[in-house]
Amino acid sequence: MSGMKYDALVVGGGIGGMESALKLGDMGYKVLLVEKDSSVGGKMILLSKVFPTLDCASCISTPKMGATVHHPNITVLTYSEVESIRRDGAGGFHVQIRRKARFVDEEACTGCRQCEMVCNVAVPDEFNAGLVSRRAAYIPFPQAVPKKAVLERAGTSPCTAACPAGIKAHGYIALVRSGQYEKAFELVCEATPLVGSLGRACYAPCEAECTRGGLEGPVSIRRLKRFIADTHYAKGRGPVDVPPSNGKKVAIVGSGPAGLTAAWHLARKGYEVTIFEAASQPGGMLRLALPPYRLPNEVVDEDVANVTEIGVKIVTDRRVDDLEALRAEGYDAVLLAIGTHQATKLRVPGEDLAGVMRAADFLKAAKLGEELDVAEKRVVVIGGGNVAVDVARTALRHGASAVQVVSLESYEHMPAHPQEIAEAEAEGVTFRDSCGVAWFEGDDAVRGVELMRCVSVYDDKGRFSPQYAEGTVGSLPCDAVVVAAGMRPDSGAFGLPVNASGTVQVDKATLQTSLPHVFAAGDVVLGPSMITSAAGQGRRAAFMIDRWLQGEELDPEAFDGPLPTVDKNAVLARQVTHSELRPHDARENVALAPGEFYEDEETMTEEEALYSASRCLDCGVCSECRECVAICPADCIDLQMKGSEVEAEVGAVILATGFTLFAADAKPQYGFGCYKNVITGMQMDRLLAPTRPYNAVLRPGDGKIPGSIAYVLCTGSRDETVGNPLCSKICCMYSIKQNQLIMGALPLADVTVYYMDIRSVGKGYDEFYEQAKAMGATFVRGRISEITEKEDGNLIVAYEDIDNGGGMAQAEHDLVVLAVGVQPGGDVGRMFPEGGPSLDKYFYVGEADEDLDPGRTDMPGVFVAGAAAGAKDIPDSILHAGAAVAQAAAYLEKAGVTI
Amino acid sequence: MSGRRIGVYVCQCGGNISDHVSVEDVVAAVQEEPDVVVARTAMFTCSDATQQEIIKDIEEQKLDGIVVASCSPKLHTFTFREMSKRAGLNPYEYTQVNIREQCSWTHTDDKAGATEKAARLVRAGIARTRLTEPLEPIVVQTVPRVVVIGGGIAGLRAALGSAEIGLPVFLVEKGARLGGWVGEFDGMYPHGKNGRQLMNALVARVRRHPGIKVFLNAEVVEKSGSFGNYEVAIRVKRDSAETQAETVAETVRVQAGSVIVATGFDAYPVSDGEFGYGLEGVLTLPEFKRLVDAAAGPLEFDGRPVRSIVYIYCVGSRQPEGNQYCSRYCCTAAVHASLLVTARGAQSGGEEGRAAGGAVRPRAAGGPPRQYHLYRDIRSYGKYELLYNESREKGALYLRFPDDDPPVVERAAAAGAGGSGYRLTVTTRDLLTGGEELTIPADLVVLVTGMVPRENDELVKVLKLPVGNDGFFNEIHPKLRPVETVVDGVFICGACQSPKNSAEAVTSGLAAVTQSAAMLKRGFAELDPLIAVVDAEKCEWCGACLAACPYEAPRQVEVDGKAVAFIDKATCKGCGGCVPVCPTDAIDLQGYTDAQIRAMIAGLLQELTLCRA
Repeated sequence: MSGMKYDALVVGGGIGGMESALKLGDMGYKVLLVEKDSSVGGKMILLSKVFPTLDCASCISTPKMGATVHHPNITVLTYSEVESIRRDGAGGFHVQIRRKARFVDEEACTGCRQCEMVCNVAVPDEFNAGLVSRRAAYIPFPQAVPKKAVLERAGTSPCTAACPAGIKAHGYIALVRSGQYEKAFELVCEATPLVGSLGRACYAPCEAECTRGGLEGPVSIRRLKRFIADTHYAKGRGPVDVPPSNGKKVAIVGSGPAGLTAAWHLARKGYEVTIFEAASQPGGMLRLALPPYRLPNEVVDEDVANVTEIGVKIVTDRRVDDLEALRAEGYDAVLLAIGTHQATKLRVPGEDLAGVMRAADFLKAAKLGEELDVAEKRVVVIGGGNVAVDVARTALRHGASAVQVVSLESYEHMPAHPQEIAEAEAEGVTFRDSCGVAWFEGDDAVRGVELMRCVSVYDDKGRFSPQYAEGTVGSLPCDAVVVAAGMRPDSGAFGLPVNASGTVQVDKATLQTSLPHVFAAGDVVLGPSMITSAAGQGRRAAFMIDRWLQGEELDPEAFDGPLPTVDKNAVLARQVTHSELRPHDARENVALAPGEFYEDEETMTEEEALYSASRCLDCGVCSECRECVAICPADCIDLQMKGSEVEAEVGAVILATGFTLFAADAKPQYGFGCYKNVITGMQMDRLLAPTRPYNAVLRPGDGKIPGSIAYVLCTGSRDETVGNPLCSKICCMYSIKQNQLIMGALPLADVTVYYMDIRSVGKGYDEFYEQAKAMGATFVRGRISEITEKEDGNLIVAYEDIDNGGGMAQAEHDLVVLAVGVQPGGDVGRMFPEGGPSLDKYFYVGEADEDLDPGRTDMPGVFVAGAAAGAKDIPDSILHAGAAVAQAAAYLEKAGVTI
Repeated sequence: MSGRRIGVYVCQCGGNISDHVSVEDVVAAVQEEPDVVVARTAMFTCSDATQQEIIKDIEEQKLDGIVVASCSPKLHTFTFREMSKRAGLNPYEYTQVNIREQCSWTHTDDKAGATEKAARLVRAGIARTRLTEPLEPIVVQTVPRVVVIGGGIAGLRAALGSAEIGLPVFLVEKGARLGGWVGEFDGMYPHGKNGRQLMNALVARVRRHPGIKVFLNAEVVEKSGSFGNYEVAIRVKRDSAETQAETVAETVRVQAGSVIVATGFDAYPVSDGEFGYGLEGVLTLPEFKRLVDAAAGPLEFDGRPVRSIVYIYCVGSRQPEGNQYCSRYCCTAAVHASLLVTARGAQSGGEEGRAAGGAVRPRAAGGPPRQYHLYRDIRSYGKYELLYNESREKGALYLRFPDDDPPVVERAAAAGAGGSGYRLTVTTRDLLTGGEELTIPADLVVLVTGMVPRENDELVKVLKLPVGNDGFFNEIHPKLRPVETVVDGVFICGACQSPKNSAEAVTSGLAAVTQSAAMLKRGFAELDPLIAVVDAEKCEWCGACLAACPYEAPRQVEVDGKAVAFIDKATCKGCGGCVPVCPTDAIDLQGYTDAQIRAMIAGLLQELTLCRA
């Protein structure tokens, strides 16, 4: 959209903005109204009744809201922000507006609320002033106009963003939290079928990023995945739908995490996929390298079965060297996912002595149940990576009497996962860091390792180039050595260009090799990496192969395109309070005694899983669990939706950006946020509203019907200590209104109002005040200095008792309502990058000549309506909007800028 | 069976209705009624979403009549008429049934009874709807001119505002000059603007504007015609050309689409003896303001320097007997005036200090006058709080007297308090210092008087203006229609509606301009066709209808040689007063025909069984 022309722009869809737009529209001007929230209505629609007539606020607001959006002369853009307003040189303005992504097609949405019903994320409900929760997918309130759903997405949750495999970690946590384990399993499968393997053996980069990690410790995300997998697999396999073939064939070389994941995605799209595996069993490193105490074979079998049951064929004991032969066999595309199976040699004397083994062979033998000759022997493991640690722990389990790991890197810089190192140490493995092997001693069999001191591992360009100090530093006596000094791909046979490390050269974004029909993924591209990284590569390769075979452009942008990762500080900042929830105790992760091969960790119980999932802070708000996408009957939810920019030319601008309420926790002596029975005036209004959250006026702490309610007037107003000496004008009156409504709702309750001056100025207002007194509300002159909480949740207010001699006094109440004041809303300054109307000292929009020209700012053509210019109640806001409209109309007539 | 297809919607109004009326039972009771095709409940029928659903029903179910049982027709008649239009249904095929104000809210103690009553009311609504007919609104061309009554700040600004958006104005001022109250004063709160200069400038702009014709010494004496096409008679008094003593009245008739009333206020008239009024040195707020405005330097009264001023707030306002309303402007006005006094500078005078015994002693020398504000609540709302703060920072003392124990003003003893020559003493209790009783010597006592409605009996009669309990003019609804009156096209603004300060009066004046322009800028207006019509065959012109009509809508015409009544469409308000007086039953009220009323009564009285669906 661009080049739209309007007579006037109205910023803000509250009562002042709607009134301005309606009146301009009635006069025949074309109006563009921009509202930042997803519905028009502003603050008024939140209220119960309005003073002094006690009209139902909804009943007065809704017709204005409907009339505004249906007015033939008014165009309303909700969920949109005015980015900039600039003079256009002809008396008018050029306006840029950002339409925020709703993630819901506004045209197609029918407002049926089904997305809301299935959404698994609860966040504080702004409409109910945070008293209850709403969902991340939501319609803000029953009377919303337009009644269209919005998905709140603050960004990608850090856990999800951290997952190389692209698993929606936050999504499956949310599904577990709501007991939908099967759906959680399916959600993981959207990224990779290796649910069981990752649930056990993943190093869980998600947990390292978990926002809760900065509090009591991260959510146990990996173990939740294991819970999901084990729950799913325990049910046994049922019939599955095999996708119909699309007639194209893909060959995958290698059945490790990358190959299996790619096969899974391609098969689901209808490709006929065959995996060729050189080993006798499928699974690649999952099968051959990961020790059984970390990943039992049965789990690998289950994960592999996920892939084969939808029609993927796996041919084992078939090593592929000739890519052309595959082509001849009719495969339209090939994915190389052969991993890294060639051990790096140390090239030191004695490497061929008996008793010096290679890690891959050692682990493979262990996994396939072959005999390992380490019982009662002293074992030295060379290498500082995860494989070395796996070897060390495996050796212990096979009866080694002592295991020592020698690493080139210093202890702090060892590439092995710290958790692994810690567990190995707990089991008795010792580490010798910053050492390299000079030679292996021994005649026939190895008897010791002579070490050199390693001073640096990498050169200044970051290449592996260990430097050693002169001479040796002594010998480690041993009976066996396992060298875990690195692995490289065995990629020479394909004739493809390779890097120095042996990895195949590919386009990093598309994973296409120099042969267009051949793609490569996993460790053959990355070098030795993590299961989850390899799985992510497999998914990307499948995506690209599909596009290539469908003749589509290999556009890296089309893959995923996540929202920016949400800022953890922002997540923590939006938690008003949070309970201290310790991470569930991970059971001892160490073998109790050598020789024990059972898994060192158990599946969580359902109770533990629910508890763990409940610790999630819902960082991105929407968890991307996709439940709403699945249920929406109008198919109108699009998690990839992007916002858009809109431009317009307007003749005049009316700013109706309204106000925000004072944040009550900025007055800590009143205890808001700490004492549950201290609430704000807006919260009380919600408790009293026809659309009230609890269907009763009760106190939030324990649900008790309050018998004694106190009002603290001037909270955040007339108060230099919070930087606001101004009177907020509305708080006296809304408190008096609430007093009357409370006495109707709770006839037995006492209401006490602590005040400085009652400012019931306005037509019928003082009469309304007298009426509240006559109904029984008690008005006590005296400001509250402090509120303290009793054990039973009651509150003690300390005040100056002016009417009775002026001494300090105390009173006990069940519930305290803070009559919070107002502050300017809307960042008006930001909207005018080239300078805008002056703001007053308190950041309200200034009026150039309030005496004669209310509503006119000092910037020609820019007007202000309602509380944006200073605290106003509803009648004053409506009158002020009327004045702003008269000013704007006069400007448009005079400037001749009307279209 | 009438063959109609009627949709019935029973509103919960959040809980406003459903808390006291079982709306499901109401639906169950009426859904089997003949002609009812759809019957449902809704949480907020007026919400946009529910309106869309009803529109869908109208289109899909081919409904030709709608009944909405919700709140007062005052609130949502237009809402649902507009909705019907959007659905392609004639808006007069819709009936509003009030089950909130007239049912749920009045019977909060009897849910069963309220439910039965609601069901009967809805059934009556259905009965009426069976007999509705499509009607077309009466379209009248509007005159793009406005009469503004009152030449004070609100009226002047409204006149200018209207002319500036292309709607010429006849400005009618009763007095001999424009400028009103504001033109009489110098510094005004909150920005310290000089009222006299402000008004001179504004008057000059009004005088210069070609779109404004000013009538001084003039009054509106007659208004005829109908909305959008009023003829307004203005009686202008002129000094006779021959003898200055004699005034001649001339009546000018103008055509205008709307009338904006901005007749302002009067100052509260203090009675003799009220807070010592009548004693020398006891002044009302306007009197005091003139004194301050006139002072070039330090304040003097009666030739003597003023050393001590006592302000007594809420004189004539917030009184249990008398004016109960708060006059809104006076707190800040008094605070502001006292700041002006401080700014006028120091007087040589006596030092005052508070003695333990309660009397206040004069001080030795120097400083501006001591100022004591005796108040109930200081109502310096919003940004005006800053003035109150400044006043306290500059040394004014604020003493709070009990609501039921007002201060007493007396002439000081002959020698003056403490022999210092103070004229007056004020005795009060101050709650801020433990209720201690104080006697304050004063040179001046300022009675902070509020506003009272102006005597406007003639105008009220001419325009049929609605007057509230407090004597000020009443708007239709303070939020929905804050400057409109029940008389179409007659608007109110400024302090004639309720006490306001000058900026607020201007704001409401411009709001009235906007409302008037929103109607007149279109060039035409649509009037409700719910008016009386005469069946010429039955009518035997007798004049009874004309006698009964408050608007003189019927007139005698000749049809086929027979004298019959004809009712002017634009003049008739549809009050129905003529219908029962017609001896030949020749008049019927469109939208509320006799047949419809009878059907409604039958619907109300018919036996009703309530059972849950």
